[in-house]
Amino acid sequence: MRRVRRLVPLQRLRELSLVLILIIVIVIFGNQIDNYYTPRTFNRISSTVALITLVAVGQTLVLLTRNVDLSVGSMVGFTAYYLGRHLSKTEDMSPMVLAAMAMGIGGAMGLINGLLVAYGRIPAIVVTLGTMAIYRGALVRYSDSKSVATRELPPWIKDLPQETLYKFGEYELRALPGIALGAVIIFFFILLYSSFGRRLYAIGSSPEAAHLAGIHAPRMVTLAFTLCGALSGLGGMVYLARFGTITVEAGRGLELQVVAAAVVGGVSITGGSGTVLGAMLGAILIGTLEQSLIRMQINEFWKDAVMGLCIIVAVSVDRILINQLTPWWSRTELQRMPEEPHAEV
Amino acid sequence: MTADPLLEIRNVSKQFGATKALDSVSLTLYPGEVHALLGENGAGKSTLIKIMTGIHQPDSGEILLQGHPISLHNSAQAQKHGIAAIYQEPLVFPDLNIAENIFISHQRRNPLVRWGKLYRDAEKVLAQLGVALDVRALARGLPLAAQQTVEIAKAISMDVRVLIMDEPTASLSIHEVKQLFALVRNLRKAGVAILFISHRMDEVFEIADRVTVFRDGQFVSMAPVAEVTPERAIRDMVGREIGDIFVKEPSPRGDVILSVKALSREPRFRNINFELHAGEVLGLAGLVGAGRTDVALALFGIAPAHHGHIEYLGKEVHIHSPKQATQMGMVYVPEDRRQHGLVLPMSLMANISLPSVKNYRNQFGMVQHHKEAATAEHYRQQLSIRTSSLSMPAGKLSGGNQQKVVLSKWLNTKPRLLILDEPTRGIDVGAKQEVHRLINDLAQQGLAILMISSDLPEVLAMSDRVLVMREGQQMGIFERHEATQETIMAAAIGQSVEKPVERAAEYA
Repeated sequence: MRRVRRLVPLQRLRELSLVLILIIVIVIFGNQIDNYYTPRTFNRISSTVALITLVAVGQTLVLLTRNVDLSVGSMVGFTAYYLGRHLSKTEDMSPMVLAAMAMGIGGAMGLINGLLVAYGRIPAIVVTLGTMAIYRGALVRYSDSKSVATRELPPWIKDLPQETLYKFGEYELRALPGIALGAVIIFFFILLYSSFGRRLYAIGSSPEAAHLAGIHAPRMVTLAFTLCGALSGLGGMVYLARFGTITVEAGRGLELQVVAAAVVGGVSITGGSGTVLGAMLGAILIGTLEQSLIRMQINEFWKDAVMGLCIIVAVSVDRILINQLTPWWSRTELQRMPEEPHAEV
Repeated sequence: MTADPLLEIRNVSKQFGATKALDSVSLTLYPGEVHALLGENGAGKSTLIKIMTGIHQPDSGEILLQGHPISLHNSAQAQKHGIAAIYQEPLVFPDLNIAENIFISHQRRNPLVRWGKLYRDAEKVLAQLGVALDVRALARGLPLAAQQTVEIAKAISMDVRVLIMDEPTASLSIHEVKQLFALVRNLRKAGVAILFISHRMDEVFEIADRVTVFRDGQFVSMAPVAEVTPERAIRDMVGREIGDIFVKEPSPRGDVILSVKALSREPRFRNINFELHAGEVLGLAGLVGAGRTDVALALFGIAPAHHGHIEYLGKEVHIHSPKQATQMGMVYVPEDRRQHGLVLPMSLMANISLPSVKNYRNQFGMVQHHKEAATAEHYRQQLSIRTSSLSMPAGKLSGGNQQKVVLSKWLNTKPRLLILDEPTRGIDVGAKQEVHRLINDLAQQGLAILMISSDLPEVLAMSDRVLVMREGQQMGIFERHEATQETIMAAAIGQSVEKPVERAAEYA
């Protein structure tokens, strides 16, 4: 048991418990809904999850530093519209260039957030509440309140959601979830193995200690916001590919789903702990709930209420579980070695 | 001490607002020495540490490392020069594991974390210290001694040359202190210069090679430990100019207002016993962290005591909230008046009537401003609050006048017992005297006053009796004629000078 405790960090345990909750949810829906276990359901859910996951990864970076980015929905909407408008004018554009453009636009908006928070010393919730409205306003102004229609877009982007990367039996991993999964894997490793990633945890865990350890927090925070913006920009491209029709309302309300996904996935709202793997699991749970409740054709109001309830239950269960387990799991005592210390400093 | 100095601090000064935190102080550290720095609260020790670790920059003076002037603009630079500090409250990252905590400042050098190597290196560093810790465990919830070990390991991993230890033993058990000292001796052998700050005299005499004393931001003395006696060190620490301080006039000692028996709230304080009479000022002396404020908070119901009895006006009471305490006629004037004492943007008048605002309502429940104004005017005259208008926001007043507003506000509730926490901190000399005169007047009117103060001359001038606390324990109560700066300081740091300190009765 001691060995298991040593080798399995608490965070993994938390993620395992989320997988368990997810399975329970899926079994419940499978009993309630006919033809639930079909590739159709899987694809529907996975494309919703793709968008939430992608942005939730960025949100996780920001949350880790004890900040929050509420402008992600507006950044997704703005980028989606801008890319759509651009594509309707220029037919021949490679997907890679478009993705780079998406991340560039989003990254620039994220950079503004980051600079205001880190160097302007304005609380993140205020800054991003402001830029949430500003970026949305910029979208309305730029679009002149007109929409991008699906028929204006080149075929390749419309077909992107049907693109299959990998097939296992009847189930297929399509392009959009593939992009999200790629982002999760990349940032999983960045957070675990790069010193940038570790310093994000340090800053959120104890800003004071980070300062004394000589960590330049403003630079890290700015970078986190910029990456969050870039991922939201990429989210804008995913949004465009998935829906085709982009109105000024695109991406509105996404920020709440994204923050919910991260928090359900065990990312601490007070910074310092959580992983993108958890955020992804949170996104899967939220995406599954949303799409399944739509399938059950419940009234819109009840759908939101049930989702809200599920989120609260998931987080409370996780809290209770973790609080019970923590002292027992990460029990560590200071053991003095029997002999006198021999320091060779 | 033939070696060249490792670190020299020359004529360093630092001013914060009107207070001179450091006034041209010098200190020299040699390799392989443990240098103790003594001084009471506000002597400038913390400021010096912050300058040495690059958190504050000195206004003037210079710092030399091995003869070369260095400038320290942030803690990263200090670390690069091999200067590290360990604080009384260790600053670990709770969400990172122990290995990461140890090597957090190394990460700049390699952009990638090699976990296997990190764990092995961390184990190696801890082995040097003669301790075994699970380096994969999160630092959250580690006992304080273990956190401190992590901090020391961190310093060692950075090839520390100058190690500052700020009261490292304050929260350690005797066994842990022994371990720490073994470690300090090893570091000394390895040529590290250690600046050791502690209020425990016995520890200083056990470990230190030389002793420097600061007082009020100034250098007082420096001598090899063999030439220093506890008496001399204490005299140097407290030898403060008394100056023109207002001395409380004798007042008739009335009935017992408050009687406290075996009051405890672990780990803050334990077994506190005293009686407080009407018309009496009981001074509560001790160093910062001795638990004085915690006793006040317990009496006032903010953080109630776990054990013991409080008798108030002859009846046993259990106080669980400040509201209850106020209704019983107790008043607590906190140390931080800007944070806890006043609503800064509100007018002076509204601040004064705030706790008793119920009495100012008319039949429709609306506050009657003319009545408020009358009360405020009364106190303005009585306490000579200097303000151009009663509707001036409290935040715009000077410190002394703010303190008078706080006092007015509570006096207006007609209290029987007044608890003052550092009543004159940050107030200029003139206003200080007025506050002292006011305390005197209130005592003459029969109020019972409990006054917490770190300002020894103030304690001596204003108190009828002085209760001294040290690390949560009551060290004794001194009558006015017994109390001197030396006896009180000796009790506060747990050293007896001449008169043996009477220990608080039979504590377990």
